[in-house]
Amino acid sequence: MQNNKLDRELIPIFYIVGRMSFSKLFFIAVLSSAVLFIQCEKKTPAESNQVVIGISADVQTFNPLFAFSVDEGSITELLYLGLFDFRWDEENGDLKSYPMLAEHWEWAKDSSSIKIFLRDDVYWTDGEQLTTDDVILSFDLFSDPEVNSRLYGTFRNMYTDESNHIDIKKSFKEISKFALTVYFPDNSKPKLNEMSIPILPTHIYGKIKRDELNTSETNFNPVSNGPFKFLRWNRNQNITLTANTKSFLYKPENISELIFKIIPDYTSRTMQINKGEIDLMELVKTEDISDIEKNQSFNFVSVVGREYDYIGWNNIDLESLSKKNKIEPHKLFGNKNVRIALSHAINSQEILEEYLLNYGEIAVTPVSKIFKKYYNPDIKLYDYNIDKAKKIFAAEGWRDTNNNGTLDKDNTEFRFTLYFPSGNPLRNYASTIIKNNLASVGIEMKIVNLEMGSFIDNLYEKEMDAWMAAWYIPIPVELKPYWYSDLEMTPLNFVSYQNKQIDTIIDELEQKISDERKKELYFKFQEIIHDDQPVTFLYWIPNITVYNKRIKNIHITPLGSITHCWEWKISD
Amino acid sequence: MNNKFSKAVIKRLISSLITLFLLISLLFILIRISPGNPTQKFISPELSPEIAKKVAEDFNLNDPLPEQYVSFVTNLIRGDLGISYNYRMPVIFVVWEFLSFTLVIAAISFLVQIIASYYLAVYSVQKQNKTTDRLISNLSLIFYSTPSFVIGVILIYLFAVQIDLFPTSGFVSLDYDSLNFFEKILDKIHHLILPLITLSITGIALFYRYLRDNLEDIYQQTFIMQLRANGLNENTILRKHVIPNAIGPLISVAGIELGILLSGTLITEVIFSLPGMGRLTIDSILTRDYPLIIGCTFAAGLLMILTNFFADLLKLKIDKRLLRGNVI
Repeated sequence: MQNNKLDRELIPIFYIVGRMSFSKLFFIAVLSSAVLFIQCEKKTPAESNQVVIGISADVQTFNPLFAFSVDEGSITELLYLGLFDFRWDEENGDLKSYPMLAEHWEWAKDSSSIKIFLRDDVYWTDGEQLTTDDVILSFDLFSDPEVNSRLYGTFRNMYTDESNHIDIKKSFKEISKFALTVYFPDNSKPKLNEMSIPILPTHIYGKIKRDELNTSETNFNPVSNGPFKFLRWNRNQNITLTANTKSFLYKPENISELIFKIIPDYTSRTMQINKGEIDLMELVKTEDISDIEKNQSFNFVSVVGREYDYIGWNNIDLESLSKKNKIEPHKLFGNKNVRIALSHAINSQEILEEYLLNYGEIAVTPVSKIFKKYYNPDIKLYDYNIDKAKKIFAAEGWRDTNNNGTLDKDNTEFRFTLYFPSGNPLRNYASTIIKNNLASVGIEMKIVNLEMGSFIDNLYEKEMDAWMAAWYIPIPVELKPYWYSDLEMTPLNFVSYQNKQIDTIIDELEQKISDERKKELYFKFQEIIHDDQPVTFLYWIPNITVYNKRIKNIHITPLGSITHCWEWKISD
Repeated sequence: MNNKFSKAVIKRLISSLITLFLLISLLFILIRISPGNPTQKFISPELSPEIAKKVAEDFNLNDPLPEQYVSFVTNLIRGDLGISYNYRMPVIFVVWEFLSFTLVIAAISFLVQIIASYYLAVYSVQKQNKTTDRLISNLSLIFYSTPSFVIGVILIYLFAVQIDLFPTSGFVSLDYDSLNFFEKILDKIHHLILPLITLSITGIALFYRYLRDNLEDIYQQTFIMQLRANGLNENTILRKHVIPNAIGPLISVAGIELGILLSGTLITEVIFSLPGMGRLTIDSILTRDYPLIIGCTFAAGLLMILTNFFADLLKLKIDKRLLRGNVI
């Protein structure tokens, strides 16, 4: 009976096959066997000692001189080590330094110089030994204006000429093949993290003309000194690094291969992690977490405190600036009480709960909780309170005198446009909430999406009254580029915020001061910023990383997901 | 006739070159006067503001626009499209790297589209108004109106995630280098099946609808009835009289479709992580890599002109009457 049923089901297939020509049958047979063959042959990452990381865009270089993107930075850090290692000190919320290429070091009592003793067991991947010459050349190259490296202009604490090029003779003294002294000018405040640049090989880079380094073949064929070495690069497909067995960091029990798979589409990345084709991906959307949680193969880690969204209120009047070249307060946002009222009128908690599903955190100042020593816990959010906001607006003279539903003062209606860069669903959602929030206090807000390039242009030209954007904050904390009053010196102070007290704090923070004083200054800074509300701080955006549980000894910190990945192990 | 043909070809070539030159000149000016500039990526709190200034100097972005244009045209005449700001390589090499992939996938997809739509249309018209004809017509309408990203995602979900028959993305496997020659070819075929289906399905539907409607129109012409009356069998009528008359308009559409395919198929490239011209062009626009934008446009424009040119030649070859009208 069952056979008869099967026969009946197979009859149409035989009929179709019977009517096919030989060539068609042959073609289908070849195709099917090819697919089956590959299916049987293919290996999954789980079968090997390799880890596959999904990234959204390809790199353009393996040369740390020009590693401008985040992924380029992460990959080149695995190829080229610096003098010192830095790890995230969870307890203090700060960087902690450890030896790396420098085995040990000695600061002069007045911090005017540092003696660095290099390891004598570090070799380049072509077999040459790493020496002090490599260290000196690296500083020379990174600071050379002809090279245009990513660190150009940042060596402020070293002896430099007028073109910001490090004065090698004044700065370095070679003690031996593996020891050197670095000298710093008077009144400089040298920091160890500024000294930990990637070290490059003299026997390769010394032979290339400085202005040709940018397009040199070395950019794609690196001779490196790190725990991994370059194996292959299929452009826009994948990058494979393999463990450098000659490295002092090499341990045979750790991962042997690291593959960066380029998958531009977010949905494709999530499908691939679910399928086990990749082991780790960053920037997972909050709405996907519940699905990931169901899958027992993955862990996820949410790091909050490196990036926050804010609404920038232009503090100064654009017309006065462009026509009279004079700095006057902005008609709508020049008054700090108005800005505080705006912060009271915006329900950032709702955005955090509804869109970020509480994976982020409310932001109240630009110093995040991760910096435990400097974060001021006494500063509280301007709570969402329409009545309070209305009272402040009224006290500042903003009332709906003509009963048209919009606040006005001196014949000026409180209406403005909020700009933000396109392609970010979180900001689309947030802008709608903010628009409705402000409408309820009598403020008319228009929303305009701008292409990123145009948006950045408008920021620099100070052509927008209000905008929504994010700041990715550096470690260690940096305040000057965003909050210092000198608008010429700090082009990133887009809101044109000016406060002499803040300038004094920032200036003092750059001096050699005790940890206690530093803490006091950071606390005071946060109080003043909170009181002035030059921007409305919205929320800290979570960076959610999902990784396969087969990866062991992985520590995801605010420094990133793959830092120190040479220590990862694969479970059986 | 030959002389007239050659003159027409030369005239067409010259007008094509002028069009291409005007296109990239216009683009050169447009991208420079539009907002954004290539130094934006060098602006960050972690970088010195000096870098952006230095890079702008090195890219000659501070020179007056006419000066930049003269330098661009001079280099273009020498065959130099400049160095890509992002890739730090000559634009020609970057474009060729991506174009070679696009040429292969576009050519295969185009062939699949033409062959599949041809057989489907002929089969459909032979079964006019029967269930299979209606089924194919309705399906073609559905596929034509479904965006390719939807088709792509559905295919990935079904065949890569659920059945696990094909890889979800990429052009080659991670262990590609360890495969032998035969395995490498199979590996590429394996990776390209889903993208090719995604890329071809809309085109098949489009060509099918064009060809099927044309075939039906020709079948309704009186000369077909005369041929039938003269006793010619249906197969001969179809092959020798209906298809040659129906294929003309399709060639123009095919020329345009091939041009579009060759300029990049962005959505398919993004969904399947393929290294094609579409992604390259969009990335160059977003990062304001001026020389690369020009390079991509130049390649796309050239291919579009060439495919249309060859489509016209083909039309001429099929229908000599067109030469009288001097269509090319």
